[in-house]
Amino acid sequence: MAIGVKVVARPSGIAQDMYVSAVVKGLGVTMRHFFENLFGKKHIVTVQYPEERAVYPKRYRGLHRLMTRDDGSVRCVACMCCPTACPAHCITIVAEETGNGAEKRPAIFEIDELRCVVCGLCVEACPCDAIRMDTGIHAPPVEHRGDAVLGKLDLLAHTGKSEAHQGGLGGEWRGAPPVRTG
Amino acid sequence: MTPPETQLPAAPATVTLTIDGRQVTVQKGTNVLEAARAQGTDISYFCYHPGLSSPAVCRQCLVEVAGQPKLVPSCYTPVADNMVVITASERVLTARRQMLEFTLVNHPVDCPICDKAGECTLQKLYMEWDGHPSRSDVNKVHKPKVVDLGPTIVLDAERCILCTRCIRVCDEVAHQHQLTMAFRGDHEILTTAPGQVLDNPYSLNTVDVCPVGALTSKDFRFKMRAWELYTVPSVCPGCATGCNVEIHHAQGQAWRLVPRPNPDINKFWMCDEGRLTYKELTRDRVVGARLGDDPAPLEKAINYAAERIEQVRQEGGTVAVVLGAQATNEDLYLAARVAIDVLSARVFIAGRPAVPDRVDEILRSADVNPNSAGAKIFGRAAAGGIPELERALQNGELSLVWAIGEDLPLSEEAFAALDDIEMIVQASHEDELTAGADVVLPAAMWAEVDGTFTNVQGLVQRIRRALDAPGGAKPHWELTAAIARRLGVSVDEPNVRALFNEMKSKVPEMAGAEWGRPQPLVQLRFANSRG
Amino acid sequence: MGALVIVIPLALFFVLGLVATLIFGWVIPALGGDPNAWYGALIKTAFILLGFVLPLASVLTWMERKQSALMQDRIGPNRASVGGVRAFGLMHFVADALKMLFKEDFVPAKANKFLFGLAPVLAIAPVLITFAIIPWGGGVCPGRLSETLTDETLATCLETGARFQVVHLEVGLLFYFAIASLAVYGTTLAGWASYNKFSLLGGLRASSQMMSYEVTMGMAILGAFLVYGSLEPATIVMAQGSNPLHWGIVTQPLGFILFFVAAIAETKRTPFDLPEGEPELIGYFVEYSGMRFGMFFLAEFMEVIFTAAVVATVFFGGWQLPGLHAGGFLGTAMPHWLVASLGFVVFAFKTFVLCWFQLMIRWTLPRFRPDQLMRLGWKQLLPLSIANILITAAVVLALMPTGGK
Ligand code: SF4
Ligand code: SF4
Ligand code: SF4
Ligand code: SF4
Ligand code: FES
Repeated sequence: MAIGVKVVARPSGIAQDMYVSAVVKGLGVTMRHFFENLFGKKHIVTVQYPEERAVYPKRYRGLHRLMTRDDGSVRCVACMCCPTACPAHCITIVAEETGNGAEKRPAIFEIDELRCVVCGLCVEACPCDAIRMDTGIHAPPVEHRGDAVLGKLDLLAHTGKSEAHQGGLGGEWRGAPPVRTG
Repeated sequence: MTPPETQLPAAPATVTLTIDGRQVTVQKGTNVLEAARAQGTDISYFCYHPGLSSPAVCRQCLVEVAGQPKLVPSCYTPVADNMVVITASERVLTARRQMLEFTLVNHPVDCPICDKAGECTLQKLYMEWDGHPSRSDVNKVHKPKVVDLGPTIVLDAERCILCTRCIRVCDEVAHQHQLTMAFRGDHEILTTAPGQVLDNPYSLNTVDVCPVGALTSKDFRFKMRAWELYTVPSVCPGCATGCNVEIHHAQGQAWRLVPRPNPDINKFWMCDEGRLTYKELTRDRVVGARLGDDPAPLEKAINYAAERIEQVRQEGGTVAVVLGAQATNEDLYLAARVAIDVLSARVFIAGRPAVPDRVDEILRSADVNPNSAGAKIFGRAAAGGIPELERALQNGELSLVWAIGEDLPLSEEAFAALDDIEMIVQASHEDELTAGADVVLPAAMWAEVDGTFTNVQGLVQRIRRALDAPGGAKPHWELTAAIARRLGVSVDEPNVRALFNEMKSKVPEMAGAEWGRPQPLVQLRFANSRG
Repeated sequence: MGALVIVIPLALFFVLGLVATLIFGWVIPALGGDPNAWYGALIKTAFILLGFVLPLASVLTWMERKQSALMQDRIGPNRASVGGVRAFGLMHFVADALKMLFKEDFVPAKANKFLFGLAPVLAIAPVLITFAIIPWGGGVCPGRLSETLTDETLATCLETGARFQVVHLEVGLLFYFAIASLAVYGTTLAGWASYNKFSLLGGLRASSQMMSYEVTMGMAILGAFLVYGSLEPATIVMAQGSNPLHWGIVTQPLGFILFFVAAIAETKRTPFDLPEGEPELIGYFVEYSGMRFGMFFLAEFMEVIFTAAVVATVFFGGWQLPGLHAGGFLGTAMPHWLVASLGFVVFAFKTFVLCWFQLMIRWTLPRFRPDQLMRLGWKQLLPLSIANILITAAVVLALMPTGGK
């Protein structure tokens, strides 16, 4: 066992093979819950959705939004980091020239919210703080699959100005001074 | 400055030196950087390029040589007997790290919009050597961005690290002095030489050699990120030179061609026209078979073509088979085998018309077909050219023409004569010929097939399939084989590899050809920097 | 709602039992008919299936979800409402039924249309047929409803009276085995006719599993036959008597466990739901939709009820309750109609509880692997059941050297 393999003894024997004790134990647990919930104290955790609502945590990931710059133009530079990071391959971007100092921006920016697994990796990947998921909006149900694809304008409709500064420190969350690691 | 290689004495002598405690024997005149690489030690560098002279301006390749008080640039130092080189001492690494930090002082680090990101040497070295935030607290020097240098290239002077590789490409490869440095210190910028624009047939090589994203190709700019691309080795179909290329493709589409080093043919370079040949893959493609103007199932069109050929033969007419020089050796070998050995047809060789003013002493040939040499071999002695074909057509000697490829640069009279006879064409692009043909069969193009091309030197080079052919197009040889089988000819080869093997054994000129090993599909994301 | 789950079923069962008692003990004799004639059997069939099995199967679909919810600290279905009345989501099975009826009845293009249609019928028919042998009460003595009978008078009367059993077959439970094993055709044909690899695999698994466990099932119950000297369910119930110490569960504990396990395996429900293991192959009915799928579903629940009914009959004294006898309960004298109705209540309630217990098992245990399943069936349950027969036979022989009653 050169690489430290821990050999776990497999329980065996007739009792194990007949599954009897395990079945009894398991039934004990489930019956306890069943009877307690039926007659006695309730453990029920269900939230009755439309009437009751769970409080969303502060960092709840809702529908995406695209951020804007001070002049209102889209902050995204179509760097393709988010589609690269996206495990669901649900982001489609086609880049174009802006003709001004920003150089590059998305001509098409689409997120298929049906395919999205709400992992937030796109937000992590973005070097420009151009995409966020802090709208607090649930992905709504749709009649047609196409309706779940949010285009650039849909994403900009939830916009807000980014507080991060490009090319330097900014935003309190970056907080601590740069640490030299080299 | 001439590269050390050119100072090589005629008789190769070898030199033995010690690099990082290991002995290595290399040819005399090699530089330390290459010697170290031969021994398996990579030394970082920006300004050195194996195909260019060494100006030693970036100091990223410093190494320690025993007995020398100062660190020396390995790219510029020729090896000497008994030299002792240390490539990774603390002193060397500190110096290189500091050089890198220096290089980055004014760098804008706009990697998100930079086309080079993902294949950038600066990014790569930063990740390897440095990896910490900037310590500089003064404002960066701003330089011009999005500068139009010429018809093909855009410059971002802020990203330029002043390595002069691009200048040397223009000077030493294209032999045109079109780029130069201006100003000095941290205001130094790259710019066009007085009265010049960056416009030469090899200009896009500057984009390849630029270790950073300072030079970007207008054609490729913002189209695709480098890390999304997959690379397949192939050969440029642009002319008879047969420069080795990589097809960079993603999402079922080719996005650019870049040169693949081959010391015997194209060294490290290729021409700008060749780079744009990938656009042909999507232009005016023949999608689906046609009988006259009516779309038909491929099967039916092939049956019909075979019927026509059979009928012409029975009526005693003459069949002409045209070998197009855009097709691969395998395609043409099979077509010639069927035409000459079975149909006793007349064989002609065709292709795109030559462009004489293209020719230069560097890479470009006048013949813009990749496989003219192959077509000549397979057409054998009997084959005629375009003039013979024109004559035969005008004299009404032919009853049916079966063309492998749609490139038939015929005179107007000869073209008119085609109207009176049967025309079967295996075509990849729509043009006048396909518009008038009786049977049009959709053919796959070079990037969509496996096979070989024979270049002007007679070298047989392998091309590889990178993409799916659009519209159900099939390789020429498959179409030819399908027709031939219906004519009762036995074509047993199950795949193009078998066809290649047979060709190799039957045709003496092909005896030296190699199919090569299978190449795994590589995504550039995992291929490290190409800079 | 706690106590309601016991009181409401008891009340409903009593009403049902009363209806049966009145029909066979009063209406039919009053009309001059014979409860054991063919139309009597027809009415009994209608009663047991439409009055008991189908409603209970429907309710079980609701119960399964509600019960699993409680076991897992959830609420379970509670939204379906009729005119605003939600009744703990009880209306969900109505909604389900409507949905199934209105859904597209899809038939795969390459399926064998005839067999595809036949398979659900083949799956459900055997279960329905087997209910014929289940005695759901002690029977009723026509025309003497208001009298207080003794056990003897009732027994004599029942020679000609109305048994609460569709058919009184001497082969009894063998008939059940014969018919129930036909159900495997339904699943296997469903798997094959769908022209789908996954359903075919599911069908094959179902056939191998059902064949394997049928053997154990038959062997396990043989012990009970030996002890009670009959194959006929009603006779077995009578032989057990009202003393729980003489019930099958006490005389045949091992037989009970083996039979119960094998019977659960026959229903193809967790932990024996390999034929429909969702994560690997979804099941033999993967191509079914609408009511055809509903038939497989219903068949499954009816198998649950049937298993419960057989177990109640053979191992839990059927309609007998300690203290309940033809003359009344313990010392209290009761009229015959009440005793006859209570017999049904006892039987139905035992069945109901055993159904509940099966649901409990289904939501507690994870699925077996195919190799574990086969090993359990052939290497463990089967030898044990054979041992059980031998031991039982030895004991029976020892206690009754003359060779039985
Ligand atoms: S949240 Fe995750 S899955 Fe959704 S778009 Fe972003 S990266 Fe993709
Ligand atoms: S990572 Fe950010 S900047 Fe880059 S494409 Fe996505 S949203 Fe745009
Ligand atoms: S040149 Fe390299 S380091 Fe500079 S912005 Fe471009 S990718 Fe980034
Ligand atoms: S543009 Fe690129 S190749 Fe030219 S000097 Fe600058 S960094 Fe070097
Ligand atoms: S590579 Fe040697 S100095 Fe630049």
